Amino acid sequence: MSKKDAYSQAGRTAVLQNIQGTLQFLQRFPPFKQMEHSHLAFLVEQCQLRFHASGESIIKPADGPVEHFYIVKQGRVVGERQHVSQAGVETTFEITSGECFPLAALLGERATRTEHVAGEDTFCLQLNKAAFIRLFSMSDVFRDFALRGVSSLLDQVNQQVRHRAVETLGSQYSLNTPLGELAMRHPVVCTPDMPLREAVRLMHEQQVGSIVIIDPQRFPIGIFTLRDLRQVVADASAELSAPIALHMTAAPFYLAPDATAFDAAMAMTERHIAHVCLVHERRLCGVVSERDLFSLQRVDLVHLARTIRHAPRLDTLVSLRGEISQLVERMLAHGASSTQITQIITLLNDHTVCRVIELALAERGDPGVAFSWLCFGSEGRGEQTLFTDQDNGILFEADDTAQADAHRRALLPLAQYINQCLAQCGFSLCQGNIMAGNPDLCLSRSEWARRFAGFVREASPENLLGSSIYFDLRAVWGDEQAVEQLRQGMLAQVRDNRIFQRMMADNALRQRPPVGRLRDFVLTRQGTDKAATLDLKVQGLTPFVDGARLLALANGIGACNTLERLRQLVAREVIDALDGAAFEEAYHFIQQTRMQQHQRQSRANQAYSNRLDPDSLNQLDRRILRESLRQAQRLQSSLALRYQL
Amino acid sequence: MSLFTWLRPSLPAAVDPAMRQRLAQLPKPAPPGVHPLREQRWVVIDLETSGLNLNRDQVLSIGAVAIEDGAIDFSQQFERTLHRPAQKTNPSVLIHGLGPDALAAGSAPATALLELLEFIGDSPLLAFHAPFDQHMLGRALKDSLGHRLQHSFYDVAEIAPMLNPDTVMREAGLDDWIGHFGLQVDERHHASADAQVTAELALILFSQARRQQLDSPLQLSTRLQQWRRRKAQSHSW
Repeated sequence: MSKKDAYSQAGRTAVLQNIQGTLQFLQRFPPFKQMEHSHLAFLVEQCQLRFHASGESIIKPADGPVEHFYIVKQGRVVGERQHVSQAGVETTFEITSGECFPLAALLGERATRTEHVAGEDTFCLQLNKAAFIRLFSMSDVFRDFALRGVSSLLDQVNQQVRHRAVETLGSQYSLNTPLGELAMRHPVVCTPDMPLREAVRLMHEQQVGSIVIIDPQRFPIGIFTLRDLRQVVADASAELSAPIALHMTAAPFYLAPDATAFDAAMAMTERHIAHVCLVHERRLCGVVSERDLFSLQRVDLVHLARTIRHAPRLDTLVSLRGEISQLVERMLAHGASSTQITQIITLLNDHTVCRVIELALAERGDPGVAFSWLCFGSEGRGEQTLFTDQDNGILFEADDTAQADAHRRALLPLAQYINQCLAQCGFSLCQGNIMAGNPDLCLSRSEWARRFAGFVREASPENLLGSSIYFDLRAVWGDEQAVEQLRQGMLAQVRDNRIFQRMMADNALRQRPPVGRLRDFVLTRQGTDKAATLDLKVQGLTPFVDGARLLALANGIGACNTLERLRQLVAREVIDALDGAAFEEAYHFIQQTRMQQHQRQSRANQAYSNRLDPDSLNQLDRRILRESLRQAQRLQSSLALRYQL
Repeated sequence: MSLFTWLRPSLPAAVDPAMRQRLAQLPKPAPPGVHPLREQRWVVIDLETSGLNLNRDQVLSIGAVAIEDGAIDFSQQFERTLHRPAQKTNPSVLIHGLGPDALAAGSAPATALLELLEFIGDSPLLAFHAPFDQHMLGRALKDSLGHRLQHSFYDVAEIAPMLNPDTVMREAGLDDWIGHFGLQVDERHHASADAQVTAELALILFSQARRQQLDSPLQLSTRLQQWRRRKAQSHSW
C-alpha cells in the first residue's frame, strides 16, 4: 500500500463530521440542494478546501485549460477582463458563497477567458476535473446545471413562481381552498317580492347564473338559478310578473366561508345542486357555483375581455377591475411569464379604455370631431402592471390654428370626463397632469409634430423628460394612421440629431443599477423604514427601458415595447444577440419580481410599492436579481462607450 | 532474549503482534525541511479530553485534518471517539458533548491511536495550544501502545500572533482568531470540527507566512524559536 493510499484508507473509515458540515453548507444552494445525497457526498469527499488571500489570482487565461471546478465557500471572487478599448480591467461578475466557476471553460476544455481574482479573503472548495466529470455523469441535476448554467436557475425560479402562486390559490388541484376565497364577486340578491322578470334581468346584466333571495337581515331564504328559469319557461302557465318567491328554491343549502371547496363539491354532487350560498353569522356573504369551483383550472381571458367590451355601464367596468387582479393571480399560477401578464393587463386595460370612451360618447354625445386617444409611458409601451396611472392625450386633424382651437374646445370637456371615468376604473389620475383633459395634450397632428420637434431641437432637462414619456406613444382608440405619421416624423428627427441622442444617453445613465463593487446590493433607507431597500422600477427596469428607447429611436425602430425594441435591435445587429437575450431575461426577471411583490401587497391590503428589501428574497432569487441588475449595468456601460460619456 | 529486550518496558496487553508490526513500519517523523510550505503535508489535530489535568485526564476523541498541496483535503480526514468505559461524567462533558454512551461505543484506544499514527505518517503536526495536545497525545500513545511520540508540533496559537504583530489580543483563544479572520464555523468543541477550523486558520497563516518570506517549514520553525525567545525576554524585563 502506498503512503497516500494508507492515509486515505485510515481517514475514510469513520463517518466524517466535517464532510457532513460541508454537505449541509452546500445544501443551502442550488443546484446542490436538488442533488442526491450520495452524489453530493461524493463531491465533498473529492474536494479540497483552499484559501486565497484578497487580490490573489485563482485562475487566469494564461494557466491553460482549466483543471478544477471551484465552489466559493466563503468570501468573494471577481471576474476581471482587460478593457478592449482602454487601459485597466473591468469587473465583469462577482461570485459569492455557494456559487461556482468556471463552468463554460471547464466544459469547453479550454482556458478561462476571464481572470478570477479573490475579491476578499476567500475559501474555495476545489474539485479536480476527473471528479467533476464523474459527478457530471452521475448526477442529472448537476449535469443540467452545468450545461445550462444560469438559465437553468431561471427555470427553477419560474417553477418556484408557479409553485408559490399555486400555493396562494390553495392549489388548483387541491380542494382545500376556503370557499370564501373562491367566491370572487358579490352575490346578486333580491327581495322575495321582486317580479320574476326583474330578477332575470338582473341576472342577465350581471352575467350570473343565480340570484339569492334574502330577508331584511340578509339571510338567504331562497335561490333562483338558470335551471329554475328553464322550468318556468317550460311551464306555459307561469307568469313573468309574479313575485320570484313563487318560483325560487326555498331554504337553499349553505356553508360557512371557511368550509373548503371539497365540502362544497361534496354537497353539490350529493344534492344535485350547482350553487352553494356562503353564510357568515346568518348573513349571506357569497355564492359559489360549480363553475367557480372548476374555473380555477381555466383562465377565462376571452370571457373577461368580452365582458369588459360589452359592459353596459361604468359601474360594471369598475367591478370588473377586481377580476383582472384575480386573473393575474391565476395566470401566475398557470406559469405565465411577466411578459405575457403585462401584455394581458395591457390588452384588458385597452379594452377598458375603449369601453369607457364609448360609454362617455354615448352619455355626453359625439363632439363632432374625429380623434385618436393616445397613451404614453408604460401604457404606450404595453408594459402596464396592476399598479398604473393615466398617461394619455388626444390627437385630431385640423387645417389651421383657429380650427385646432375650435376642435380643442369641443373635445376638452369630453376628455376630462373620460379621465374621471378612468380614475373610477382604477387608473389613478396622473399627478403630472399628463392627461387628455389637459389643453396642452389635446392637440392637432401638426401641433404634436411641432411639440416633438421642439423636444429634439432643444434638449433641456424638461424636454428630455418629456421625450422619455411622449416618445413611447400608441393609439388606443381611433385612427392609428395619424399616430404612425407623427412617429415617423419624430424618428427621422432623432436619427439625424446626434446631440439629442447623446443627451438622452446621458439621461439614461442617471439611474445607476444598485449593485456595487464591494457589497452585492447598494441599498438606501427611506424615511423611517427598518430595512434598506432598492427600487425595482426606477433602478432596475428604467435602465433597460431608457437604453432600449434610445437605441431604438436612434436606429429608426418604431416599436415601443422594450422587449420588442431589444429584439429589433438584435435583428439589425445594433446589439449582439447574446447580449440581447441576456438583457431580455434580466428585464423579465426584475419585472416578475416586481409583479409578485405587487400581488403580495394587494393580498395584504398594502399600498403598491416598488421598493424591495433583497434580504426578503431567497438565495436563488437574490442571486438572479443581482445578476439581472448587473446586466442593466452592462447595458449602461455599452451606452457610455457608444456615446463616449 | 537480549538484555535490551528485557530492559525495554513491556508493551501494553492490547498490542498484538500484528499491531507491533504496524508500529514498526511507521515512518520516522521528518525534520523541518527547506521546501516551500505548499509542498509540506501537515496534519492538524484536535483532541477532546475529559479535562485539563495533564496527568489525570484522558483523551476522549481525536479529530485530524490533512493539509496537502496547500489545501485541506476532504478525502483525508480522521475522526475517532475512544472507548472509555470507566469515564465518569464530569463537567467537561458540557463542552465536548461526549456522553458515556458515545464513549462506550467508541473504538479501542490502541487501534484508534495506531490508525492515527498511520494517518499522520511523517508529517509535522499543527494544533491550537499545541503543547497541551502534544502532552495528552504523548501520554495516550505511551499508555495504550507503549509508543513514544516524536513528531514536531507547531502551535497555531503562536504562529498567529507572530505573523500578526499588529493585532493586539491578550491570550487570544481559537474563537478570537476565528472571529478576527471572519471564519465560519458550523460547530465548535467537536474534535474534527475544531481541527477543521484550525486547519482553515492555518491556511490563512501559511498564506501570510509566504508573504513574509517564511516559505518553508524550517524558516517557520526557526522564526518561531526566535519569537518565543524575544517574548520570554520582553516578559523578563
